[in-house]
Amino acid sequence: MSRNQRIALVVGALVVAVVAFLIAQPGGDDEDDGSERAAQTAPRQSEARTTGETTETEAEAEPAPPKPKITHIRLRSGTVVGGVKRAQATTGDTVRILVTSDAPDELHLHGYDIYENAAPGKPARFLFRADIEGVFELESHVAEDAGRDPLIGRVVVEPA
Amino acid sequence: VIQLAHGLVARSDLPIPEWLFGWAAAMVLVVSFVALAVLWPDPRLQQEGWRPLPRGLGRALAARPMEIICGAIGVFLLGAVVYTGFRGTQSSTANFAPTFIYVIFWLALVPASVLLGDVFKAFNPWRAVGRTVGWVARGAARGELPAPLAYPRWLGHWPAAAGIFAFAAMELVASNGDRPEDLAIATLIYSALTFVAMALYGVETWTQRGEAFSVYFNLFSRLSPIETRDGVVGYRKPLSGLPALKVLPGTVPLLAVMIGSVTFDGASEAPLWTGIAPDISQFFQDLGLAPRRALELAFLLGLSAAILLVYGFYRLGVAGARSVGGGFSTGRLAGAFVHTLVPIALAYVAAHYLTLLLFQGQSIAFLASDPLGDGADLFGTADTQIDYGVIGANATWYWQVGLVVAGHATALTLAHDRALAIYDDARLAVRSQYWMLAVMVGFTSLALWLLSQANV
Repeated sequence: MSRNQRIALVVGALVVAVVAFLIAQPGGDDEDDGSERAAQTAPRQSEARTTGETTETEAEAEPAPPKPKITHIRLRSGTVVGGVKRAQATTGDTVRILVTSDAPDELHLHGYDIYENAAPGKPARFLFRADIEGVFELESHVAEDAGRDPLIGRVVVEPA
Repeated sequence: VIQLAHGLVARSDLPIPEWLFGWAAAMVLVVSFVALAVLWPDPRLQQEGWRPLPRGLGRALAARPMEIICGAIGVFLLGAVVYTGFRGTQSSTANFAPTFIYVIFWLALVPASVLLGDVFKAFNPWRAVGRTVGWVARGAARGELPAPLAYPRWLGHWPAAAGIFAFAAMELVASNGDRPEDLAIATLIYSALTFVAMALYGVETWTQRGEAFSVYFNLFSRLSPIETRDGVVGYRKPLSGLPALKVLPGTVPLLAVMIGSVTFDGASEAPLWTGIAPDISQFFQDLGLAPRRALELAFLLGLSAAILLVYGFYRLGVAGARSVGGGFSTGRLAGAFVHTLVPIALAYVAAHYLTLLLFQGQSIAFLASDPLGDGADLFGTADTQIDYGVIGANATWYWQVGLVVAGHATALTLAHDRALAIYDDARLAVRSQYWMLAVMVGFTSLALWLLSQANV
């Protein structure tokens, strides 16, 4: 390979890097990511307030934090009504999950290692601060013992 | 979908965000461009230049007493796995055996091998037992034992490939793959097979070619600058250990199993797989299989498909490289470049299992204190817990992407050096590298894509 070709390749690499920077980086932290997150948070906030268009940064700047959203999971004859639920949170959020069941059950949130019991008319309440990032499974031990799919929900904690 | 064999996993990673995915992919291209431009015009890595560590340190580190101590530790741990598997609680996260096998043995030994050389060889319990038995038998026979059978050439690395496949199937396919008692049984079966093979073909021969874990960890240790030769610890030029790899029948399939099984583990959480798995499982149920068996069969199919995909993709790149000329057969070329897949395999393992090792690995502190899960506290660490704060999601993402890109760069370097060594014509060497480059970019993109997929 000639000297000129080598230089051309390095220049090509630099161009790719600059283009990647222009495309990915500015949007990376502000626009893209923000709008994505806003899009994710919009559905959960739209129930509470119609001005769900506010961006993430504004929401964070507000002195009064929004009321923690409650994720509601209903278990009927051993299955989750409407499929496996997902509770989305950002580090530092307070996560609230309510599990109602038509049969006694023990529920286990992995990672955070929280156990709560549910019984007919007496739902299990999970209330905790999302301080570990990652995806955590919420499982029914009754289903697990019966050899059924124990997964009833996931807690997704994203970095702030 | 019933979760198979992931009983140890309490937490899974967040998928890497799109912008980072884009960045990483761009980095891969940049690295590739730069590599093509600045890499050396003459082969440099084909000679190892091994030298012993100075002042007798190399000899002392691998001296007979050290060998005996390490071997004894290995045998003790093997015994501990079997004992706790049978006698301990059958809850997979409260028993010593599953975490030790899947996290400490299977995962922690990988970085250990890359940093310190072939440490598993020193601790290998089967090799230690085999050598001890041979030594005792020689003493009893008052002379040399009958020579072992000649190891068939065609067998090559096939037993190792089969062994790693079986291990992956136990981890990712079998629904009881994390049950302590089943792990203990599997350990006993594997030990028995290993001892029989060692008796037939000789301890060292089987360890080097057939014993799955020896071959597996030895491959990673070839990335290390440290190597033990003839009882002396020494060091070699970085990356010079891999070109010295003896390619045997089955070496390419072995690498395909290594990369393919991690691929499947990642892909099995992706919507692509979780979408079709129930259908495949239903198909087998309709054929009369029990739901659990049907699901296992579906996963076995997925695992095999991922391995074949990796194998086929590599062969495709090799066929392309062959088309530029040079007069090599596809088989010869496939063997000539297979060592470049080792850093890729490392990148896959490192990126995919980074957090499992960092988080679940901590649990060995309380599991070692309470190995049976019956409330014992042997070392006073039974009450420790996993600290999930050691690495956050952002740091995890950067490490994962960094490891994947580093593996990519290493593979490119090795492929470039090998091309220069085997092609007489430097221009042919470069042209063949466009194909290998395409293969590497393909594997790296797949790794990144897998990191961007998760069950969220």
